Amino acid sequence: MPLRLCAAVWAGKTVAALSRMLGYRGSSLPGHVALRIYSGTLKALARRARKGVVLVTGTNGKTTTNNMIAQVLTGAGHSVIINREGANMLPGIATAFVRGTGVNPAYAFDYAVLEVDEASFPRMVEQVKPDLVVVTNFFRDQLDRYGELDKTISFIREALRKLPRTRLVLNADDPLVAQLGRIGLKTGYFGLAPHGRVLDTSGASREARFCPLCGMNLHYSFYHYSQLGLYECTGCGFTRPDPELQGWEAVSGIEETTCRVALHGQDYRLALPTQGFYNLYNALAAFCAGSTLGLDPEMVVQNLRHYRPETGRLQHFRHHGRPLYLNLVKNPAGFNESLAILLAARGSKDVYIAINDNAADGRDISWLWDVDFELLADPNLGIARFLCSGQRAEEMAVRLKYAGVPPGRIKAEPKIENTVRDMLEGRTDAAYLLATYTALWPTEKALSALTDGK
Amino acid sequence: MMLAIYHLYPDLLNLYGDRGNIIAFRRRCEWRGIPVQVREINLGERIDFSDADFLFFGGGSDREQDLMAEDLADRKDNLRKAFEDGLVTLAICGGYQLLGRYYRTLSGQVIPGLNLLDFYTLAGTTRLIGNVAVEIPLPGRMVRVSGFENHSGQTFLGEIKPFGRVLSGHGNNGSDATEGVRYKNVFCSYMHGPLLPKNPALTDYFIQLALERRGRDGFLAPLDNGFEEAANRVMLSRLKVL
Ligand SMILES: [Zn+2]
Repeated sequence: MPLRLCAAVWAGKTVAALSRMLGYRGSSLPGHVALRIYSGTLKALARRARKGVVLVTGTNGKTTTNNMIAQVLTGAGHSVIINREGANMLPGIATAFVRGTGVNPAYAFDYAVLEVDEASFPRMVEQVKPDLVVVTNFFRDQLDRYGELDKTISFIREALRKLPRTRLVLNADDPLVAQLGRIGLKTGYFGLAPHGRVLDTSGASREARFCPLCGMNLHYSFYHYSQLGLYECTGCGFTRPDPELQGWEAVSGIEETTCRVALHGQDYRLALPTQGFYNLYNALAAFCAGSTLGLDPEMVVQNLRHYRPETGRLQHFRHHGRPLYLNLVKNPAGFNESLAILLAARGSKDVYIAINDNAADGRDISWLWDVDFELLADPNLGIARFLCSGQRAEEMAVRLKYAGVPPGRIKAEPKIENTVRDMLEGRTDAAYLLATYTALWPTEKALSALTDGK
Repeated sequence: MMLAIYHLYPDLLNLYGDRGNIIAFRRRCEWRGIPVQVREINLGERIDFSDADFLFFGGGSDREQDLMAEDLADRKDNLRKAFEDGLVTLAICGGYQLLGRYYRTLSGQVIPGLNLLDFYTLAGTTRLIGNVAVEIPLPGRMVRVSGFENHSGQTFLGEIKPFGRVLSGHGNNGSDATEGVRYKNVFCSYMHGPLLPKNPALTDYFIQLALERRGRDGFLAPLDNGFEEAANRVMLSRLKVL
């Protein structure tokens, strides 16, 4: 045990304790400090995983998928270290290890389950050799520049090529992800069969209109959303791989999302205590990962049934009996999925949207124009008020106005607490709150303080 | 009479919410009862640019810009004629660069542009990114608009007027305080954001020019711009140019 590692872990733990005392959320500072003291901290601590290291990457659904995998592993009796709250770059991941381990080198755990930012993935796997890599999907994020997504994916591909022993769990429905199966690693695919909500057109970003292997047009039989669907290349014949784990008969309800899952000739019934069709993808990814790690499928299904969403992942609150749903939004694909939830919900509702433009949200908010807010202009949706908040509240109001929402139903108030108060005074059956990353915590804080809780 | 919006290559060039510019132009016509129609033009489609009333070019990646340049190469004269005839055009970022003389990459390779307007672009080593405020002369007044820029190319103007003067941010090249280009009714800019929705005076000016080109009265009924002006004000005051 190098003394430096000891010092690094100890210092990281001290910083973690101090920042907790001072009430900071500081999810990456302890890791920062530990890495400064000893740059090999991550590498050394990851070796303490007795059974394996699982990395989850992709654009959307990383946090949820990661938490679900941790839940099924914990439920099966394994000890697990996990990075929480989207702290998914190297310092955040180091923090998870520093918090989760002791200074004593004999301290070990079964699995490390880590969500990793796509851009940090190559540097991460230089430090930590994963046993399993799960890739959820690839979308253009608001932080991306021209061609950035292509570059990110190619860096991940190159990094994976250097990991011959790593197994992959890939989304078969996303051609940008499924192409990674061509690297030659041992790969399990998950996917979703057609269901009642498939689309025959899609607002897929340009990156996915062309074959990732040969550049010719991709032909789609149907879309689930964005570029996820049943595709076939008109040039080289690249097509959706047949997934070994496939969801079907998917139903997204108000309190529950269900589907049947076919795995190795068996039929399982998956039920999630949360709304949102996209959560099924996260659950299928976790299921596939669990099955790859040798867990009993029945036990996986049991554990997923009790999955509790993290802050901002469609969290439920109640105020005088009125349900409130809080969801994080960070890019057009994810935002459209959040809208799909409220479009499917019956009854009257208020809609709250908080947009910040700090570095973690993306300084450039023009991606809001790629979200299908036009769907909200339908007067039969039962939406009473649109309350816009955050640093760019006014610009969000402009977006809604140009989407066709009557301006009289839109309010813009940058102060989050005021807007949450206003929203709580509403008389609708439910309220849906959507917030970008740095607007999420203050929204959650106001909700926790002002409502009856979860 | 129907105003025709031509949206060039929405399949290829649709970054940073570019379609917000189309939405803004269309809505502000509709709210005044001016009939308007959006036509999406894809690669290989044969069109006559002089039929358009508002032509929009967005930004794209290098590969996509090459495809677009190739597609437009043999219709350059038709496009030039429409420009001379006063076609109202907005070209943003990559679409802007394409209309110039050339783009020189870092390795010194010169990629010819459509050579319709007198400017050229040099690849830079750092990206010019951030919120930007620009003062733009409209007939009889100056307006302050805001947007977001994100480009590595640095554009230098020849015998041609800039679109506006940079109050905060980088503009064409980060050194001469110019932003974009204006030639007749062709407006080019690095401001996406998108530009038109929160700058209604500019959008209305474009609509007015389009109507006048068809020999119509350019008077536009006033609209309530409360949200738009508030959004613009937030950014202008953050950039301390209000
Ligand atoms: Zn192909």
